[in-house]
Order: sequence, then C-alpha cells, then structure tokens
Amino acid sequence: MQDPKTGVKSQTQRLVITTIPHAITGEDIVAWIANRFKIDATEARAMGTMMVAFGYIYPLQDHKRLMLKPDTSLYRFQTPYFWPAQQWPVEDTDYAIYLAKRNIRKKGMLELYEQEQYNNLYKWMNHKWDFIVMQAKEQYRAGKERKKPDRVVFDCQERAYWVVHRPPPGTVSAMDYGHDRMVDPNMEEVKVCKKTPDYYRRIIMFTQQCIMRPRVKSSVSIGALVKYTITYKEHDPFLHACLPSNPWLTDDVTYWTLNMPNVEIPTKMRVERWTFSFGELLMDPRGRADFRLFLKKEFSGENLAFWEACEDLKWGAAETMKEKAQQIYKTFLARGAPRWINIDGKTMDITVKGLAHPHRYVLDAAQTHIYMLMKKDSFGRYLKSPVFKETQKKAILCRFTAPVPHLAVYTGICEAQSTASPGFMTLPNSAACPSPISVAIDSTPASERRFDGNGGPSSSHFPSIAEASVSEEENQPPAPKSRMALSLSRLLRRGCNAPSVFASLSPKCAVASGGGKVQPLGVEPLAQPQPRRIANFFQIKVDIPPECRIYPIDSEDEEDDSPDTARGGVKEIICPWETVTKQEGTG
Amino acid sequence: KPECCCLSASTGNMDGEEFTMLDALNKVTACYRHLVIALGSTSDSQNLREELKKTRNKAQELAVANRTKLTALLKDKNISKDDRAEYERLWVLFTSSVELLEVDMKRSLEIGQDFPLKVPTRHLIQTGMTGSTTTVAARAMSVQNMKYEADANIDTVDLKELETEIAQVDQMMEEMEMKVQVAPWAVEAKQEAGAELKSTVSVGNSSVGVISICEEEPKETVEGETGLMKVFAGIIFTGVLLIAGILGYLVVNL
Repeated sequence: MQDPKTGVKSQTQRLVITTIPHAITGEDIVAWIANRFKIDATEARAMGTMMVAFGYIYPLQDHKRLMLKPDTSLYRFQTPYFWPAQQWPVEDTDYAIYLAKRNIRKKGMLELYEQEQYNNLYKWMNHKWDFIVMQAKEQYRAGKERKKPDRVVFDCQERAYWVVHRPPPGTVSAMDYGHDRMVDPNMEEVKVCKKTPDYYRRIIMFTQQCIMRPRVKSSVSIGALVKYTITYKEHDPFLHACLPSNPWLTDDVTYWTLNMPNVEIPTKMRVERWTFSFGELLMDPRGRADFRLFLKKEFSGENLAFWEACEDLKWGAAETMKEKAQQIYKTFLARGAPRWINIDGKTMDITVKGLAHPHRYVLDAAQTHIYMLMKKDSFGRYLKSPVFKETQKKAILCRFTAPVPHLAVYTGICEAQSTASPGFMTLPNSAACPSPISVAIDSTPASERRFDGNGGPSSSHFPSIAEASVSEEENQPPAPKSRMALSLSRLLRRGCNAPSVFASLSPKCAVASGGGKVQPLGVEPLAQPQPRRIANFFQIKVDIPPECRIYPIDSEDEEDDSPDTARGGVKEIICPWETVTKQEGTG
Repeated sequence: KPECCCLSASTGNMDGEEFTMLDALNKVTACYRHLVIALGSTSDSQNLREELKKTRNKAQELAVANRTKLTALLKDKNISKDDRAEYERLWVLFTSSVELLEVDMKRSLEIGQDFPLKVPTRHLIQTGMTGSTTTVAARAMSVQNMKYEADANIDTVDLKELETEIAQVDQMMEEMEMKVQVAPWAVEAKQEAGAELKSTVSVGNSSVGVISICEEEPKETVEGETGLMKVFAGIIFTGVLLIAGILGYLVVNL
C-alpha cells in the first residue's frame, strides 16, 4: 500500500506550524483497495474500516471513531510496535503509564472515562504506582527530545493504539472476540504432554468405556425417530395448528382452558395422545385419573398407587423421605400389607434390603417392575375398556374458534375423531401446514364472509364429517366460549370449505397468485370446483408470502394492501415437509 | 543531572544512591521504549539499531548493578521495618522496570526480524516519523552526542545477540524471584494519584506551548506559538512607533 507508484497516494498533513508527511485520505484508501482486490466500493470501504478498527491505520481527525470515511479525512499508518498482529498482550501497566503521561500533557484534564480508568488503575495497581509515575515522567521527557513533528506523530500513534485497545465507552471495539479457551481443542494433546503411564491409563479407560457403550444401528434409531415424528406430528403446536387456536397468536385462551391438567372433559387430541404410550397416559394427570378409575373398577388399583407413592418419594423433600419409605413399605410391600403389590422375589429382596438405609431411589427396582407390569397388562386392557371408550366418546371436539373480529386468523374445522375415518382426520390436519395454513387462514375470514352460499355444494361432499360434527356439536353443550356470532351451520360449512381450501392450497401458494397450479390432494378430487371459485378471490387477497402472514395482527393491513401487492411479484413457497404431508394425505 | 536531584528530593527518599541508580534504569527503560516504537517505521535506520543495542546494554548493566545492590540490602536481616518496607518498594520499582525492559526487548526482536535493513528495498512503514532518534538515545546514554561505529550488518548480527540477552534477562528475573521473597502487592505507593503533575512543572521549561495533537487541538499551539509571535510583533511595533516618534520630533525641530 505504501509503494510510491502503485500505493495509496501519500499526502502531507498540515498542522498550524508543522507539516507531517505520510498522511492518506479516506477516499484514496477506498479507491486503492477496490482497485487492488477488484471489489466494489462498499466492500472496499468495509475492508478499510476493519483495518482502521484493528488499528493498522488510524484516523487523524475524529480519532475516537474508528471507521473509514471515504472522503478527504486523513489517516496514517500505525507503527509496527502498535500493531495487533503480533498479539502481544495489552498490559494495564502500559495503559496506566499512558494515562499518566496524558495527565501530564493535559494538565490534569482527562476525559471522563479516562479519569475513571485512571482512578481504577490507581486503586488496584497501587503497588506499582511509583513506578508508573516515574516511568510516565521519563517517557514524557524522552519524548520531548525528539523533533516537533515526530513528537506529534508519536502522540497520535499512542493515542490511536489506546483507542483501539481501551475503547471509549459507547464504541464498539474490534478487539472483542469473545472468550478465550484455556485449551486449544485443535491442538493435539500428544505433542504437548509426555507419554507417562498415567496418560496411557487414561487412554485405556477411555477406550474401555467406548466399547461398553451401547450402540444402536443408525437404521434403527432413524426408524425410531421417524416413527416418533409420525406419531406426534399432529400434536406438535409448531408443526400443526393448535386447536382451537393458538392463544399466543389469537389471544384466545380456550386452548388453555380446555387443556387444564384436571379438566373434567379432555379434548380429543389429548385422549389420542394417551393411546401413544403408557408413559403418556401416566404423565397426563387427567389420563392418570382415568386410568385410576379403570383400575378401581378392576380392583387392581394398588399398582398405580404404589407407583405414585414411589414417584412422590423420588421427587419429594429430603426430610420426609425416611417416613415415606417406611409408609410405603408398610402399605405395599410388607407381608399381609393392606395393598400388597405383587413383585417377584428377587426385587422384593433388593428392596427390603435397601429399605434398611432408605434413600430416594431405594424403591426404583420395584417401581420399574410395577410400571412394566401395568404397561404390559393393564394398559392394553384399559384401552379396550368401557371407561376409556366413554372418555373418548365424551371428549371435546376441538374446532377452530371464530376469531375475535379484529384478529382474523383461523377459521375452519378440525376434528380429531380417532374412531372416525382416519383419512379425513389426517386430511385437514395434514393440510394444516404452517405456511399454507396461514395463507389460507388469513384469507378465509373474508372468504367466510363472502362464501356463505358456497357452503352448500361442499357440504354434500362431506356428509360424514358434517353429520358427525353436527352430532358432536349437539352433544357438546360446553362449547368453547369464544365462538363468535357466526352461526353453527355457517361454521360447519366453512369448515367443510376450509379443508378443501387447505388441501388445494397446501402444495403451493401460487394458487393465490395465478390460479395456475392448483394441485388438490388425491383424496378430494371433488374439491376442485371449490378452489377455482375461491381462487379468484384469493388471487386478490392472498398474494403475500406466507412468512409475513404468521402474525395475524397484521392481517388487517394486509387485507387492505393485498390488492396492491397482487400486482407485485409473488413467490412460490414450498414447505419442505409438504411433500410428506401430501403423501400422508394421499396415502 | 539536575532532574534526578529534584526528583529524589520530591519523593523524600532517604537512600539517594539506590534511587539514582533506579532512576537511571528507569530513564534508560523509557528511552528504550521510545526507540523500539520507532522500529519498523520510516525513522528506522542502522543508527536506530545501534542505538537500541547500546541502550539495551546500558540498561542491562544498570539492571545487574541494581539487582546486586538491592538483593544485598534485602537479604540483610538486621534492618528495621521501615527500611524493609522502603527496600521492598524499591524492589517493586526495579522488577517493574526490568519487566518492561524485557517485554520491549522481546518486541524489538520480533519487529527487528520482520523489518530487515540489509535488503535491496526496505519495506518500512510510513508512519510520518522521519526524524532521527539520536537525541533520545543520547539521553539514555547520558552523553551529549551519540557516536555510531557499528558495521553495516548490525541488524542481523544484533538480533542474535538480542536473543541471548533476552534469555539472560529471563534467567535473571527467575533468580530474582527465587532469591528475594517480596510480595509485590503488599507495597504501598508513596505517590498519590496525579503525582505526575507536580514535578513536571519545574521541568517544563521547554513545554511552553503544549504540543498540539493533530488538528483537533490547534488552539493550544496557536496560543503558545502565537503568544511568542505576539510578543515579537508587539516589540517591533513599539520599536516602529519609537522611531516614528523620534523622526517626527526631529522633523518638528528642524
């Protein structure tokens, strides 16, 4: 950069009396960098700013702001001693000496932050303070031995160095690079440490533990992951719409009220969840209550009671542990106990021995045994029992609530009738992909309002659902409170609309834009006339990338803006999981 | 040197001799730092390398001398508590100086290696410093003028010596740590905050007109410099007035 011919043009800085050479202007620097590296001006400027921020070049005017201004402001190169490249540690002693020198020069008028630093350093470097003062004075005097221009340059250099390494408050320092690690993880240990027997012992232990670790084939683990995701997919509030509506989005707390821990009547989704595994059933307090009821009818409630008592012991306070353990023993494990549980001899032995010195996990073995027993035996019977079937039947059908008028978000029906045709069940759910649903949902309020009449034809397509929902409706006096003034039939019809709408919209949102690529799901060929009719409407409305649809509060504005944005460019959005759901829907 | 005396007087140190030696070491260290900062810049030259070498050697001599003196003093078990505190303070001064010196030596080695002088085209950084550092070195060596007698390839030869010297200083410091048990943090400073402002007043004859740092503080130089100019202008003006008066008087009288 300093080449007289090909480098940055060097100028002289004129102070009042002195002229100092080797000054360069910001614009020259930017131009040179852009030329040299064949990059554009903004990038060159950014690169130049980095150079300034790190202290290789320092500004002569406005010295506190370490950035490159592409105008005639002057800069100068820093001397190698003050470069950060060598990564010499920046000592507080040096800083103290610098501040003392500055104090001398400014006759006691330091800047506020410098004064604070000075006081701090004085306090904790007190033992070295004599040295600092002496050294500062000597350096000051030695500096005066030089000629005037050099003195000025020296002071500028030093000041620039300290602006980089002790930035004034409110400025960003380029030296902030985060935490230092004590050990470099990339450095090979072998080179550093000697190969002592201890080292080898550690290696042996490590490899032994590696061998003992249980290993699972990736095909198995991936299969398990896939199975898990398929099972829980619809219950995940991120991947699927939260029914009746996500309280965080619509300010409607029905979801929470419906899903309280000990609600009288659970929702269908919740009940479905119990069927996934025994653990789910037990974890849900309502499920556990249901199971308890079932066991009571079967006169085998002591297993669950024992399990619960063990949980209480595990999670309870330490003081009551001993008494609890004794109590449990007396109630469940002792011979002739009132609620004696049936565990095998070996486990009983271990437990009784352990109870001599009870601790939190003393009943772990017995608890596991009982858990397995319940899981293998009672759980299956529970799922076939009339208790469960009753609960299932009574479970609340979740529907999307009509939203608060000014927050037009969700409409449409969802039903999770586990006993009804699973195809239909998965369909609306699979259609409820986040992005298309947000698109669809945002537009359906308006479509709702305008397509009252269209509900007719579609409702005939889904007689089962409509009827089922209607029947469910009638059985459900405690309907969600926040259902708005929309009548039931309208809601149902719209609900029937919505799945078809969702179905057609789920593949691509380009439906809205050009009405071109309507790809309805295979299961609903009849839905085609619907989308076309609605597509026109959507063409006007839903011409906005779904990303901005996530926040329904804006939907008002977007409804106004959308006619305008219809003219704008439209993106096709393809959700990565959509192909999966499409297959799910069609399969 | 007059400055030394007034310094020791202001600090009220009783052991003037030790202090003078320490003060000398301190001075040399400060000058050495100035010289090292100039390394690699456009004021770098063979002379600078030689100055560095000489200053360094002098610093080392002083360091060794100080060390022997101070260790002797501190090993003496029959000193009073106050004396001991004082010697410890001097010890901390000494170790800090030597630490600074060592750091600067290491840095000068690195920069010296990066910026060789015996190459067809020297790549020195244009820092704006163009003057020589002779005066600083002269101050360090306590001589009036520096004499330069080294060979032309001092930069490479010197570096090797520098490495060995750094090792020596390292070793010396380790020995010092081992032999003398002084807790540096227990020392209390005699100077209070802002003490540096005091004694510079007496020294500051040449600091009339504070140095202006770049264009942000032009006022101070302006004041300083134009103060003098104003005085001159005033003198000249009054002189002219006088002459005019005299001429007028003569004209009138003629």
